[in-house]
Amino acid sequence: MKDIREDIAWAKINQDVLKSLENPRKLYWVIVFCAMAVFSVGLGCEIYQYNVGMGVANLNNPQVWGLYIATFIFWIGMSHSGTLLSAILHLMHADWRKPIYRFAEAMTTFSLMTAGLFVMVHIGRLWQFYYSLPYPNERGIWPNFQSPLLWDAMAIFTYLSSSVLFLYVGMIPDLAIVRDNIHAGWRKKLYSALSLGWEGTDRQWRNFRVTYLTIACFLIPLAVSVHSIVAGDFAMSQQPGWHVTSFPPYFVAGALYSGCAAIITLFIILRYVFRFEEYMTLPILKKTVRLTFAIAMVWTYLNAVEFASVWYSHDQASKDVLIQKATGPYAPFWWGMIFCGSVVPFMLSIKRFQTNIPVLFAVSLLLNLGMWLERWMIVAPTFSHGYYPWTWDHNQWPSMVQWGMVFASFGWFTLLFMIFCKVFPSVSMYEVKEMVYHRKLHAAKGGNNSQGAH
Amino acid sequence: MSQRHILALFNDFEEAEGAIRALRAAKIDGFNFDDLTLKSPIEHHEVEDILGERSAPVQRFTLVGALMGGLLGFFLISGAQANFYAQMKGGKPIVPFPPNFVLTYEMFILGGVFVSILGFLICAGLPAKRSPLYSAKVSEDQIGILIKAEDKAIEKIKSVFVTFEALEIQEEAGK
Amino acid sequence: MSVTNLLENWSQFRHFHPVDDKPHDPYKWAMSIDLDTCTGCNACSVACFAENNIPVVGKDKFEHGQQMHWMRIERYWDEDVSNPGGRDFPDQGAQFLPMMCQQCEAAPCETVCPVAATNHTPDGLNSQIYNRCIGSRYCSANCPFKVRYFNWYDYPTDDSVWPAEMNQQLNPDVSVRSKGVMEKCTFCVQRISAAKITAKNEGRLVHDGEIQTACQQACPTNAITFGNLVDTEARVHKQWEAQRVEIDKDKQEKDEEKGGTDLRGYRILEELRAYPSVMYLERVRESAV
Repeated sequence: MKDIREDIAWAKINQDVLKSLENPRKLYWVIVFCAMAVFSVGLGCEIYQYNVGMGVANLNNPQVWGLYIATFIFWIGMSHSGTLLSAILHLMHADWRKPIYRFAEAMTTFSLMTAGLFVMVHIGRLWQFYYSLPYPNERGIWPNFQSPLLWDAMAIFTYLSSSVLFLYVGMIPDLAIVRDNIHAGWRKKLYSALSLGWEGTDRQWRNFRVTYLTIACFLIPLAVSVHSIVAGDFAMSQQPGWHVTSFPPYFVAGALYSGCAAIITLFIILRYVFRFEEYMTLPILKKTVRLTFAIAMVWTYLNAVEFASVWYSHDQASKDVLIQKATGPYAPFWWGMIFCGSVVPFMLSIKRFQTNIPVLFAVSLLLNLGMWLERWMIVAPTFSHGYYPWTWDHNQWPSMVQWGMVFASFGWFTLLFMIFCKVFPSVSMYEVKEMVYHRKLHAAKGGNNSQGAH
Repeated sequence: MSQRHILALFNDFEEAEGAIRALRAAKIDGFNFDDLTLKSPIEHHEVEDILGERSAPVQRFTLVGALMGGLLGFFLISGAQANFYAQMKGGKPIVPFPPNFVLTYEMFILGGVFVSILGFLICAGLPAKRSPLYSAKVSEDQIGILIKAEDKAIEKIKSVFVTFEALEIQEEAGK
Repeated sequence: MSVTNLLENWSQFRHFHPVDDKPHDPYKWAMSIDLDTCTGCNACSVACFAENNIPVVGKDKFEHGQQMHWMRIERYWDEDVSNPGGRDFPDQGAQFLPMMCQQCEAAPCETVCPVAATNHTPDGLNSQIYNRCIGSRYCSANCPFKVRYFNWYDYPTDDSVWPAEMNQQLNPDVSVRSKGVMEKCTFCVQRISAAKITAKNEGRLVHDGEIQTACQQACPTNAITFGNLVDTEARVHKQWEAQRVEIDKDKQEKDEEKGGTDLRGYRILEELRAYPSVMYLERVRESAV
């Protein structure tokens, strides 16, 4: 099986991808509509919470953090696989990333935007949000740069803006294709403006390649730093269960993990909705699935390392938190996390399932459920079993307002993502052409071409 | 001497390559080889062998941007910490290094990425108006060669294009 | 110019507190609480509510854990019930611990606040700036003692908290807090400020006993002592000295001594290096009742 047929005519590539901007399957509109409905529920919740107070989330003293923070980490984590596909695999010349990296990169951007919402939703005085920004003012008042939350803000701002730029720059040649082909109207104007007058001259391509490579080099350490800093929110604190040295790599692995699972989900949806069967082929899916399995095992290992080191440390407070996780009120969710995160991925190791779309769809959703539970299990149990005994008999269950906003975030993300895929080419046309071209060259040289060009 | 543009479209890169080599060898009067532009739907970096080294200095921008970003980050943050009431927090120094390094690192990357993009736009000459001769075929599957040359050279160039089986030749009207 | 300022005062910006630092001068507010005399009557807690305009959230919100008691009396029960020769009821072994903000010298809450709304003051308090707080609640998440309380609702406008006439009893020296900000024990900073201003006007330092915190004032058994730890004449200073508890140590010398000592003074979670300003005196009575 080949990743892609090398005899696809280039004109057909243009045609097929451009069709996705015009007429997707009906399912597309169903998804968009559902996403909007779900999002509006969350919007209602936020308006209610904004007016009445954070108390409606049913957080309490001392359990001051809840699903908002957990879901924030979840979405930040989700963003990491876009970078994996677009930057790391780009540097490694893994050709098979080419048809699927565009939507993965878009996923990065939109999941960061979703994560950003949770910061807003979480803070008690949203109307004073700007206090946390380092804007110059005559009173000489600055935010506290020592706070890991500030590092977060800085890292996420850098990551979001760099990802948007990376996504955009990588899309310029495709925008030029769209500009050349779309009928006159507001979209023609939009693409003409966005493509900056790209005509594919050698000078443009040369600088384009250098720039793309350079930004890819920056994005990799950036992505790692972003989730290590998010891990730092916890690891830099003093609380048992959070103050763990292995948190940064653990978080990064978890991030790549949930991101890869999400890529599988979206791969399957896009492939069907936009009729991309020719480009998002099963062999590519298979490679993604294997990658996901590998990362799942890394995550499982780091998870085990965390438990083992806590156990071995004889730090009683941390140990108690761990025992509490496994046996306390959170036990069903904690074991659910272990099951979904470490057991379910073994389905991916079975060859027969590696290209079975319904199975993969279900598994990828389960993996992300597991990863969401993981984030919740990092945040919540420490609050109910911290250093101080007074916290031990405090139970707390998130209110419908919290749940509403968690669900709504999926709607918001899907909405942005689906709109993006309709407005912009979600398969990179010029890179698919490159892929086809390189394969052709390779085949002409008589090389063995069955398992990918590189 | 007035100059005109001429654009030829080729079916694939090999044919275009042949045409370029021929043009280079022909040494046509009134045509400077640096005025030749290759337009292609995908990147052909093999083209550098024929066109000769044409520079892409984006990474110089990157270096400057990253260094400026990092320096700006560190001094902005440290300076702000020193000016802001200088009130102690958590017993840590008022200008603590570990947090500032984290932020400097982020600013380093931010500066690098932003200025690289700026450098890209400058080096690639974007945004720009499209050149007078452009065919949408170039963004699809054909290779274009755009040449700016003096009137007297145009005919000779055209004949080279024809020899190499150009699919289409566009010519700017003479002034 | 900020960089010039940075370079000129470099050493001032680069020191750790309290270990590598000179001690606070002339004031360092501290407390000691004698658990042996504490009867768990909750008068301190009530006095604190009255003095500091703390909202009484009501039964419903209390059940959701959204209570605001800056000063709380914790109860620990003796589990020695079923053993032969043990107690008949766990209540007989009840122990009380009044808990409020420990005004740490190196407070974990301060570093994590994104907007620097909580700081260490020159007289050794952990201050909270309500106007600056955006409600990220990171301070509470990182507080080992969990003594920070968040305004989950807008209590000043909630009729059930301070109904019509009740708002007449609000303390005019203390601001009421709107929704979305964090608050906690201040060591009755309004009383401290008033006393400091009076003393300054008279050209002297604050005497010991001039400031009483609300909880101290209300305590029927004088279990709480508050004062200036720097003032060698102050009762709190003498107590700390007698108990050989030093503020800038994460491990007291007396605990290292062989066989231990009979001294009762200790600080809670000292090993976390927050350097709390409250010393507790261990209970020696066998039972609270």
